[in-house]
Amino acid sequence: MNLATYARRNMFRRRGRTILTIIAVVVAVLIFSLIRTAVAAWNAGADEAATDRIATRHKISITMQLPKHYVQELRDTPGVTAATWANWFGAKDPKERIPFFAGFAADQNTWFDVMPEMSVPPEQLADWKSTPNGAILGDLLAKTLEVQVGSKLVLTSDIYPGDWEFKVVGIYTPLRKTVDRNSMIFRWDYLDNDPRAAFSKDQIGWMVSRIADSSQSAEISRRIDAKFDEKDDQTVTMSERAFQLSFLGAFTAVLKAFDYVSLAILLIMTLILANTIAMSVRERTHEYGVLRAIGFPPGHILGFILGESILVALVGGLIGVGLVFLLINNVLGPAMEENMSGFFPYFRAPTSVMVTALAASVVLGAVAGAIPAVLASRLKVTDALRRLD
Amino acid sequence: MTEAADSIVTLSGIDKTFYRGKEPIHVLEKLDLDVPSGSFEALMGPSGSGKSTLLNIIAGLDRPTAGSVKVAGSDLTKMSDAQLAKWRSQTIGFVFQSFNLIPVLTAAQNVELPLLLTNLSSAARKKHVETALRVVGLEDRMDHYPRQLSGGQEQRVAIARAIVNDPKIIVADEPTGDLDRKSASDVLTLMDKLNKELKKTIFMVTHDPAAAEHATVQRKLDKGALQ
Repeated sequence: MNLATYARRNMFRRRGRTILTIIAVVVAVLIFSLIRTAVAAWNAGADEAATDRIATRHKISITMQLPKHYVQELRDTPGVTAATWANWFGAKDPKERIPFFAGFAADQNTWFDVMPEMSVPPEQLADWKSTPNGAILGDLLAKTLEVQVGSKLVLTSDIYPGDWEFKVVGIYTPLRKTVDRNSMIFRWDYLDNDPRAAFSKDQIGWMVSRIADSSQSAEISRRIDAKFDEKDDQTVTMSERAFQLSFLGAFTAVLKAFDYVSLAILLIMTLILANTIAMSVRERTHEYGVLRAIGFPPGHILGFILGESILVALVGGLIGVGLVFLLINNVLGPAMEENMSGFFPYFRAPTSVMVTALAASVVLGAVAGAIPAVLASRLKVTDALRRLD
Repeated sequence: MTEAADSIVTLSGIDKTFYRGKEPIHVLEKLDLDVPSGSFEALMGPSGSGKSTLLNIIAGLDRPTAGSVKVAGSDLTKMSDAQLAKWRSQTIGFVFQSFNLIPVLTAAQNVELPLLLTNLSSAARKKHVETALRVVGLEDRMDHYPRQLSGGQEQRVAIARAIVNDPKIIVADEPTGDLDRKSASDVLTLMDKLNKELKKTIFMVTHDPAAAEHATVQRKLDKGALQ
């Protein structure tokens, strides 16, 4: 036997209470990790955004459009090596097989040059350029809509009336894990030439540029915006990261709130743990008095209580992290990526989140046990021996 | 009071005052005590007479308000709390009324507890534990948990724990208070054996005149003074 034997045996003295406390820690670790994973997944796209790309949109809002001839002026800006553009289409599946996906019209000659992380076989790209109603889909979206190369696809739009018929000419696959696999890209001229889109004739939604020197990103952005400053439609140009973060700003704010909720979860876990340890210490005060009487110094009592608190938190943390790996990374994550790829193209708990959750469990276990441990170790031996709870 | 040559406990002019709010309660007053080495002393007295307080002072669990406490050659009033803890672990064996065994540890592990504070190896500790349990006649109950033992057996395990580190003095606070007559008799016989055969000094607080009969010296404490 050694001193750890006593601390370990104490842990399951009140089996039911300890198990419930461990479950509370497990649930806290799961919720904390889920929230942190969602925040990390949301930021992943922005974090992995290309640094040599900048995006330009209308100064007032992404929903307002810009004249197409801006693209040429963009290309003429020093530092810009290539530029492309797109329009939001607001695509919807009439059969409602997927609640939301990104569908947009883009320039068939330049889009995939500027977005090389979306990989399309050369022959499919060539088909796209020669097929006016050709569309290229992400592999997950193609699977969900049950189409393949050569299939006909009919969609509706939130913006443009009627049914829109496309021919699937290609499937893109991601070269980066954060690429949305549920997007559809079709030719901008197909939209622009359709009478139903006459109200936005020669208008584009946003432009994306590649720049030669990513360290010049801010300067080139300023130069672009200055170029359009005196025109009817002013622009705002930003890094791709900032553009992605601003695209659904409200959702980012919600995730920021989740960030604070995750901290509150840890606080609640600490209080539950502290309550359990305080009850245990109260029940065992007499016993600690006996140990002190036979010569155990206060430091040992402190160690027993802190050790027990940390052990309960560690067991809960390890089970919690194990469940995070099993449930989030193997069940929930793939389901989210399949169904909510537009928001969460890659939804897996990063190692850093699991390590943080485990470390937080251990540290907060120590914090929870600290006050009862210090109080018990400072109690006079004779006072402790008089306690008979 | 001068210290007798063979005294193991010498108390001189001991005062102990507790406070209830601002009101002082004098539990011990100008108390002198000499306990010869190797004696078996019983301390009797009514409840509230200060018996346990006196026992705690001798065992280094409490400090007097005034006076000098010399036990086994050490002046306890000059020792820090940490020094006292170490001194207790080497000098005093405790036997409590309610046994105070740790319920999650086996009899052997309970007996081993004081030895965890020493530098003994695991094998040496095991040997000491077996010897102590053999002395109290429970070598066949080593792996039993306290809940699997009778009250008398629990107290004998507690006595084994008290002697395992070979202390000079055993202090016992109502050691038979929670036991039936037969178990109490067994425990007292065992304490006789510890005193006579192992030459342990025993200082026992008791209410039971039959238990006190086993002691070689009986003292009575009343209103904070020895009669």
